[in-house]
Amino acid sequence: MASSSSSGLTFKLHPLVILNISDHYTRIKAQSQPPPTSSAVNDAVSSPPPPRVFGCVIGVQRGRTVEIFNSFELLYDSSTHTLDRAFLENKQELYKKVFPHFYVLGWYSTGGDAQESDMHIHKALMDINESPIYVLLNPSINHAQKDLPITIYESELHVIDGIPQLIFVQSSYIIETVEAERISVDHVAHLKPSDGGSAATQLAAHLTGIHSAIKMLNSRIRVLHHYLLAMQKGDLPCQNSLLRQVSSLLRRLPAIESEKFQDDFLMEYNDTLLITYLAMFTNCSSTMNEMVDKFNTAYDRHSRRGGRSAFI
Amino acid sequence: MNLNMNSVETLVAQIHGLSGSISDINQLHSLLKQSEDLFQSESTRLAPLLTELDPFMHSLGYLYILDACTSAPISKEQASELVLSIARFINLCAAEQIRLAPDKFTSVCKRFKDQVMLLEDPMQGVAPMLTAIRKLQLSSEHLTTLHPDFLLFCLLAKCYKPGLSILEDDIFDVDQPRDFFLYCYYGGMICIGQKKFSKALELLHNVVTAPMSILNAIVVEAYKKYILVSLIHVGQFSISFPKYTSSVAQRNLKNFSQPYLELANSYGAGKISELELCVQAHNEKFEFDKNLGLVKQVVSCMYKRNIQRLTQTYLTLSLQDIANTVQLNSAKEAEMHVLQMIQDGEIYATINQKDGMVRFLEDPEQYKTCEMIERIDSSIQRIMMLSRKLTDMDEQLSCDPLYLAKVSL
Repeated sequence: MASSSSSGLTFKLHPLVILNISDHYTRIKAQSQPPPTSSAVNDAVSSPPPPRVFGCVIGVQRGRTVEIFNSFELLYDSSTHTLDRAFLENKQELYKKVFPHFYVLGWYSTGGDAQESDMHIHKALMDINESPIYVLLNPSINHAQKDLPITIYESELHVIDGIPQLIFVQSSYIIETVEAERISVDHVAHLKPSDGGSAATQLAAHLTGIHSAIKMLNSRIRVLHHYLLAMQKGDLPCQNSLLRQVSSLLRRLPAIESEKFQDDFLMEYNDTLLITYLAMFTNCSSTMNEMVDKFNTAYDRHSRRGGRSAFI
Repeated sequence: MNLNMNSVETLVAQIHGLSGSISDINQLHSLLKQSEDLFQSESTRLAPLLTELDPFMHSLGYLYILDACTSAPISKEQASELVLSIARFINLCAAEQIRLAPDKFTSVCKRFKDQVMLLEDPMQGVAPMLTAIRKLQLSSEHLTTLHPDFLLFCLLAKCYKPGLSILEDDIFDVDQPRDFFLYCYYGGMICIGQKKFSKALELLHNVVTAPMSILNAIVVEAYKKYILVSLIHVGQFSISFPKYTSSVAQRNLKNFSQPYLELANSYGAGKISELELCVQAHNEKFEFDKNLGLVKQVVSCMYKRNIQRLTQTYLTLSLQDIANTVQLNSAKEAEMHVLQMIQDGEIYATINQKDGMVRFLEDPEQYKTCEMIERIDSSIQRIMMLSRKLTDMDEQLSCDPLYLAKVSL
């Protein structure tokens, strides 16, 4: 498999496709095996290899741009290593009615890397689309990796050892979103696994998000500051282009400077602080109240014991 | 005798030798504890030894010898010398060393206090006592036995500022309950003297509601002052005790302070004439308790309270009307009262002298300055720390065996 494609096509991937594939995979994985215990997750030897899921991707090709809009699932027959053809055509008919412009662009699967058996499926699809696309999602979670674990492969005819062979070549892609998709992706991104329903945890989650954003901003500014100091001391060579960028960044704030803004801003700030103060007060008072009750029960000789009397 | 003196000399030599590192000091401490009887027997002859020792380097040894010296009865001439030498020791000693023997240090300071009282010059005692407290305290939240003595000196010497500085610290650890009662009571008196009525109220409240198993005289006196300060500062007094007051106090305090409760009742009615009648009736009692000055302040506060009540009803009022409502003698007096209150920040108003009208204003604080932000921020920090301490105490109480025994019955 070569590293980059030479076909010159631009691929645009919609997040809906990614969500569909990941949803399909998660469902199959959850249904096929009992949920792994925490020890089993770490021990890669004992757990069975994750199942592979298959499906089709559909979209539009205009000129040199291939835009992948949607996807649907397919059944995979592992004995014959083929996809269920009849189902595929059925589904294709249905989709054609709703989206007349879309047609099958290729297929998707999950796994770490493209495998040899995939080529069979690829060739089988070649009669629908002469150059199908293979979208591969890597379900293993890698926290160090910043990019999406999606790769798009095209097939190219290369001469290897004198034999012309079809092999997969990787292509780059960009993510394209419609407004509706942006909202749903945002929603999914903020879903918490435990009860995200109560207002307190939602507020805490919201504030945590803001806090981490500010922390990141702070660390980046610190890096810049450190860099500028080093430049001032002379440890680093002076780069005027960088200095210009920093200067333009600094001029963006403060955005408003008028006195009325100051007044309103400080008043609102003080209001928030007062509310925090009030909340802490209430918290403290309730702790104090409980403590006083406990103290009275423990130490005051003649306090009423609230319902316990000698006559019971 | 000579044998004893020789062993004392060897001890002094050891003090010199073993005052270096921490382990040496611990060793020295155990040695000194063992030779206590020796010190006691030789107490009259130990004074010249003190000159051989350095109060800073050999604080522990110096302390033991000083303690033995002062345990003997002191004559009046020696008293002033002794006071000076103890003061010098307190100023120079090393805090870590004396914290190893806190009760000895406390007894030396107590004798210091007795001598100063004998000399009737409490001013001498203020500064050394303050240094002694700071050196003995494990942290600024720790109440030592020396605190009430220090406050007593401040009261007698009428030197209130250092007393106030000590009162600003929040207290979380108390050695002896009696110290706490005395500390709060004296502290309350100092604050009353400085006209810091809110802090005085807080301190006296602490005395009245502190846990106790039997009533003591300090609490009774404090309760009387508490009623008066509450009338001056808040304008009303509620008879019911908060629920954390001990049941002993709840049942018995009222019996001892009848005249004060009657005063509070007539204050609540709002008529100056009735109040003055009440004061006249119990004059001897108030004078006996030395609270007459406070009672007079209560009466003058009545006028202030009434004028403040007017701000809630009227927007503008003439000076003559104010004088009539508040039962003052003339408009001039009313003007003086209102002027004084504006200066003290108790009301917000402007006086128009041409037509003798007073216009009452709102609190001009807009809460939009940076200073206000800092104030609120520091308050929030304080309350967070307090909240943490409270949660710790709450957990400790939950694990207390006494509490668990009573709850699981």
